[in-house]
Amino acid sequence: MRLFLAILLCKLSRWALRLLGRGGTALPGKLALRLCPDAVARLSRDIRCVIVTGTNGKTTTCRIIEQTLRAAGYDPMANRSGSNLERGIAADLCANASLTGKPRRRCAVIECDEAAFKHVCGEIQPEAVVVTNVFRDQLDRYGEVTHTLESIRIGLERAKRATVCLNADDSLVASLAPDAPDRVRFYGIDVNLGEGADVSDAPRCIVCGAEYEYAYHTYAHLGGFRCPKCGYSRTEPDVAVVGVDALTTDGSVVELRIDGEIYPAAVSLPAAYNLYNAAAAVAAATALGVSAESAVKSLAQIESGFGRMERFELGGAKVTMVLVKNPAGCDRAIEYLASMGEGTTAVFCLNDGTADGTDVSWIWDAGFERLFAPGGGVKSIIVSGTRAEDMRLRLKYAGADEHAVRIVRGVGELADAIAATEGRVCVMPTYTAMLPLRAELAGRVGRKEFWK
Amino acid sequence: MELKICHIYPDVLNLYGDRGNVLTMKKRLEWRGIGCTVAELPLGERAALSGFDICFIGGGQDFEQGLLLDDLRSGKGGEIKAAAEDGVAFLCVCGGYQLMGHSYETHTGERFAFIGALDMETVGARERMIGNFAFETEFGAVVGFENHSGRTRLGGGVKPLGRVIRGYGNNGEDGTEGARYKNVFGTYSHGPVLPKNPDFCDAILAAALERRYGRAELAPLDDFSEREAHESVLRSLTGA
Repeated sequence: MRLFLAILLCKLSRWALRLLGRGGTALPGKLALRLCPDAVARLSRDIRCVIVTGTNGKTTTCRIIEQTLRAAGYDPMANRSGSNLERGIAADLCANASLTGKPRRRCAVIECDEAAFKHVCGEIQPEAVVVTNVFRDQLDRYGEVTHTLESIRIGLERAKRATVCLNADDSLVASLAPDAPDRVRFYGIDVNLGEGADVSDAPRCIVCGAEYEYAYHTYAHLGGFRCPKCGYSRTEPDVAVVGVDALTTDGSVVELRIDGEIYPAAVSLPAAYNLYNAAAAVAAATALGVSAESAVKSLAQIESGFGRMERFELGGAKVTMVLVKNPAGCDRAIEYLASMGEGTTAVFCLNDGTADGTDVSWIWDAGFERLFAPGGGVKSIIVSGTRAEDMRLRLKYAGADEHAVRIVRGVGELADAIAATEGRVCVMPTYTAMLPLRAELAGRVGRKEFWK
Repeated sequence: MELKICHIYPDVLNLYGDRGNVLTMKKRLEWRGIGCTVAELPLGERAALSGFDICFIGGGQDFEQGLLLDDLRSGKGGEIKAAAEDGVAFLCVCGGYQLMGHSYETHTGERFAFIGALDMETVGARERMIGNFAFETEFGAVVGFENHSGRTRLGGGVKPLGRVIRGYGNNGEDGTEGARYKNVFGTYSHGPVLPKNPDFCDAILAAALERRYGRAELAPLDDFSEREAHESVLRSLTGA
C-alpha cells in the first residue's frame, strides 16, 4: 500500500511539475522515499541494473551503455537528466513502474553520485558497476578524495553480485578491486596520449605513499602507473584501447582489444577522455551479455549526453556545449576548445550552487593559460554565472585582456549574445548554469527537453 | 630587483587552487617590472630557506599530511621555523597554516607535533566549517573560502591576521581569523586567497621587498577585475 501511494504521488507530482514546464525529478523522488523508504529496493528487484559512478564521465558512459544495450535488443530505462542522487533514482524507478509496482522495463542504466553510491548499492543489487575515475571534485561536498574512494568501496562491498568494471589506468579507482578477481573487469588505454600530464590529484601511492613512476600518460593522473616501493601497479585491462589512428573534434578511430580479440572501432565522440567512457561502456555491456561485435558497432552511433559535447546551430553560431565540473574535466574541455581552431568564441558560465560546488577555487587548478598561448584559438570571451567576476579574474591571470572579457548576465541575454556570434562557439558551463542555458538554446532550435 | 619564491611541499600540499596564490604573486611582481623566480621544495628535499624572500605553504588532504611529519622531523621543520624567525615572508594556507603551529590534535585524541613557528594549537573536530567568508585586516577586508575541521587557538606570541566579518575563522568562536607573526601570514582562506585580495598580496610582497632591499615601492596596478571579484563576494556575504 505504501509503495502504491509512493508511486502514485511521485507520478502525480512529476506530472504537475511538467505542466508547470519544469523537469523536476528531485521533489517527486523525495516524496516517494518519504512515503516508502524502501521504494528503490522494491522497484529495482526484478530489474537488471548497471550502476555507473565516479567523478567524471558518468552521464556519457551511461548514454553509451544505454545505446549499446538498446542496439542489442534490450530496452533499458535510464535516469537521463543527470539527477543522480537516491531521490532522483527513486523518481525514475517510480516512473518506470505500474501503480502496483511492476516494472515496465526489465533493465536499467543508472547514473549514481559517488557519495550516494554506498546507499544506493544497499538498495539496488546491480548486475554490473562501472567506476569511471576519481578526481578532486567539489571538496566542500564530498570532502577529500580518500573519502570518495571509501564511499565507493563500501558500495562495492554491498554490490555482492555485480561485475565490477574499473578503470585500470586510474591508480585510485584500480585500488578498489575486490578480492574476487573473477568479478572484476578492468578497462583502460594502452597508448601514450598525454606528454607532461599533471598527476597532482594522485601523485603518490595509495598503498604506501611513495611517488609513482609512469610508463606513459593518458591524461591527469591516468596512465601506466607503478609504485617503485611496494609494487602496486596497473593491471592489464580486459577491455583496452590498444591503438589510436585518429583523434579529431568529431570523433576517434581506434583499435580495441576485448578479452584478447582485436576490433577496429569508430567512436563518434571527440577527445581522449571519451575513449575511457567508450571502453568502460564496452566492459559493462559485454558483462551483461552483449557481444563484443555489437558493442563496438554501437560506439560509432553515440549521441552525446545532455550538455556534454552537445551541439546547437543558432543562426551563424555553431555551438558546442561542454559541461565542466572540476579541474580535470575542465582541462579536457580547454584542450578541446583549443583544438577548435582560430576564431572560436569561448563562453564560460561559473555558478557556485550546491550542485556546482560552492567553492570555486578549482578554476585556479585548470590550465586556462593554454588558451592564451600562441595558437590558443580564442577570438573573444564571454563570462557569465553567479561567479562571473571570479571567472574573469582567473582569465586575466591566465593572460586574457580583462577589459575585452564581456560579462553577460541572464539566460536570455546570454543566449542572445551567443546567437549573435558568427562561427564556432564553445560554451563551458557548470552544472546549474548548464540547465537553464541548455533549455533556452534547445527551445530556440526546437529541441526536446530531456524529460520528453 | 628580483624576489625568490619557494613553494614548499607543492607535491603534497596542493589542495584546490593553491597554485593561484603563487601565480598571483609572480604576476603582480612582473607587471611592476620586478623579477620573480619560483622554486619548488617537495618532500625529501632541502634548501637554504633564508635565501628565499617568500615561502608559500598550501593546504592538503589528511592522507597526505601523514607523510609530512617524517619529513618535518628530518630537520626541515626547524629550518622553516628559523626562516620565519629570520623575517622571510610566509603565506601559509589552511593545512599549511595549521602546520606552522605547535601541534595538532585529532578529534580522536591523537596528537602530532608541528613546526612551532607560530604560537598556536589546533584541535580537530567532527564538524567542518565550510563556506565563503570575510574578515577585516590592516589591509582592508579579505574575502575567501574556508573548509576546515581544525579549531585553532592563538597564543600570546602571535596576533590574529584579522577579525571575522562573516564566517567562522580560526575556531568559529573568538572572532579571530588567521595569524600574523613577523612576516608570517597564516590564514584559513584556502585555495587562491590572493587573486581576489590584491592588497593582501601586495602587503606580503612589500614585506619581502622591505627585507631584501630595505624599501618597498609598489606601483599601483589596474586592479579592475580584482576589485570587482572582491566586491561581488563581499556583497553576497554582507548583503550590502
